[in-house]
Amino acid sequence: MAVEQAGPEVSDGILTRIATRTENLSEQAYAYLLLVPAFLVLLLFAFWPLASAIRMSFFADVITGGNLGGFVGVENYVRLLTNSNALAPAAFIDPSFQTPILEQALFMTILFAVLSVTGETLLGFLYAMLMKAEYKGRRLVRLLIILPWAIPIVIQGMIFFLLFRPGYGLLTEPLQQLGIFSSLPLNTTFDSFVIVTVADIWKTSAFMALLILAGLESVNQDLYEVADVMGASRWQRFRYITFPLVFPVLMVAMLFRTMGALRVYGIIESTSVGCSTVPSMTCLVTQLMFGSATLYGSAAAVSVLIAIVVGLFIMVYLLFIRQSNQSLGLA
Amino acid sequence: MSIDARNHDDAETFDGSGDDTGDDGENKSRVARWADDWIRNPEKAYAVMLVFLGGVLLTTSLFPLYWLFNVAMAPPGQPDIPLVPASIDLSVFVQVFRQVPFARFMFNSLFYAFTVTVFVLLVGSLAGYAFGRLEFRGKTPLLFSLLVLSFFPPATLFIPLFRAFNQQVPMLGLFTLPVEVYGTPAAVVTPLSAFTMPLAIFILTTFYGQIPDGLEDAARVEGTTRIGALFRVIMPLSAPGVATAGILTFITVYTEFFFSYLMTGNSAADWAPVVDGVLAFQTQYTVRYDLQAAASLIAIVPVAILVVIAQDKIISGLTQGALKE
Repeated sequence: MAVEQAGPEVSDGILTRIATRTENLSEQAYAYLLLVPAFLVLLLFAFWPLASAIRMSFFADVITGGNLGGFVGVENYVRLLTNSNALAPAAFIDPSFQTPILEQALFMTILFAVLSVTGETLLGFLYAMLMKAEYKGRRLVRLLIILPWAIPIVIQGMIFFLLFRPGYGLLTEPLQQLGIFSSLPLNTTFDSFVIVTVADIWKTSAFMALLILAGLESVNQDLYEVADVMGASRWQRFRYITFPLVFPVLMVAMLFRTMGALRVYGIIESTSVGCSTVPSMTCLVTQLMFGSATLYGSAAAVSVLIAIVVGLFIMVYLLFIRQSNQSLGLA
Repeated sequence: MSIDARNHDDAETFDGSGDDTGDDGENKSRVARWADDWIRNPEKAYAVMLVFLGGVLLTTSLFPLYWLFNVAMAPPGQPDIPLVPASIDLSVFVQVFRQVPFARFMFNSLFYAFTVTVFVLLVGSLAGYAFGRLEFRGKTPLLFSLLVLSFFPPATLFIPLFRAFNQQVPMLGLFTLPVEVYGTPAAVVTPLSAFTMPLAIFILTTFYGQIPDGLEDAARVEGTTRIGALFRVIMPLSAPGVATAGILTFITVYTEFFFSYLMTGNSAADWAPVVDGVLAFQTQYTVRYDLQAAASLIAIVPVAILVVIAQDKIISGLTQGALKE
């Protein structure tokens, strides 16, 4: 490992001099020094934008020029939550419930997240079992299953656009004949919602499978031998060994994916469904920013509301994980 | 490791499969014989089920990609595309590059992914070393702040960053970025570095923390500097972890949509990534679906190669520790 040529006095390069300088620091000071680059980047491009977005959400919209008006407190939030912002392209939530559920950003996004995470977990588990089993050609099968994960979102969108495009897509006509799809599926909210959800499940179940496979691989194989000696059936082995031991990983994977699904945006744009047909929460942010009026205050308020919704979901998961750990006796 | 579990199953069903040659009459249909065989010998049934399930799953996973190829092969403007292409004509793949500077779009995307990965691994390694191997005050709050940060959606970070890059709003209220930065790689690379950094730091922290102190001490006794020990001992020994963090970062950036789409212009010369390249076909050449599909297939190639090379590393890296946090 080239250790012998690394004496600090040997060369006089600037790196070596920095390295020598750090030798005399205490462990504490050295740790802080190592953290400086990472936290400098995060301060500028993550912590500051975060704080700034929260601050912006308390200032009034200025319709032109992309500026902010005076301090208005929580007015942006109140208008979003009571659906009284006349300039908003879609409702965040409509308390009078006259807007269909799928046209309210909050409920549309939550429904999308629940459906797509459920779908990709089930499918991902099956994929993971298939990747775990031993047979000839497993490497190839693993590769083919993982592949959709590595496909850029814009291409994922392109694929499903081509599959569902009226008069052109393979799946449009049969679905129309069954009466499920309307004549213009990419312009109808329900149809587009289905398309976007299916597209998301297709791509992300590959990632789910990867995480669940990692969980399956780290299960101690001796347990299965013990189970065999005790005459456990395949179902019992799954029920009492595989599932409980993979459960924590499964929860983490689902948490990751829920966070991802709640910020859905790219697949909506790239299937050419468009934000006006399926208004997710992130869609609403971009529409408020880049629409006919530049409503930066309201856009910031929506972005903070997204973070709050994500935070609530994370808390539910964490509570659930803790409770199930206790009931499994792992806590 | 897990082969022996299956062998035990065979042992269990041994007594059943011993006498199944006796009463299999000629008059029984093939299906009935299969059924008999499977009941006596459940392993076979499982194998058949696995093959069947595998077939269905692989079809689900691959059909969309096959369809993309199919569309690429269809002649332009054909309304109903058959399930099997009438002819294979690979010249569309060349045409893609003539219609749109697609090579440049691809280069831009790969450049973004590569730069972010190298930067995040370098800076993340320093932080991962501090978090994984050193004791200092404020460690837990700092780690926790990273965790909280990774929960925030990109949309929340986006508005102020867009204003800072595009409208010269002062960052931290202190200084403004020069106008020229928008439309350079920096406008995409820096936010995406910040966005992918927390996960990379978590993965690297876990791996670096697992290296025994003795190995590092040995190198230090031999005269290696502290920083030298990180790059010469800790990083090579944590290769699976570094690879996992690197691949996850690379693929996240290459597949990313939000920043890549909104933080760039849409011309290739202005550093627009593949996102804009593919969408260029969608908006400008709406009748040429074959070109869109061909372009999409081309853009998948680099990541597909990466997955081919690195699939074992990804799986072993995730298994060994990335998920333990």
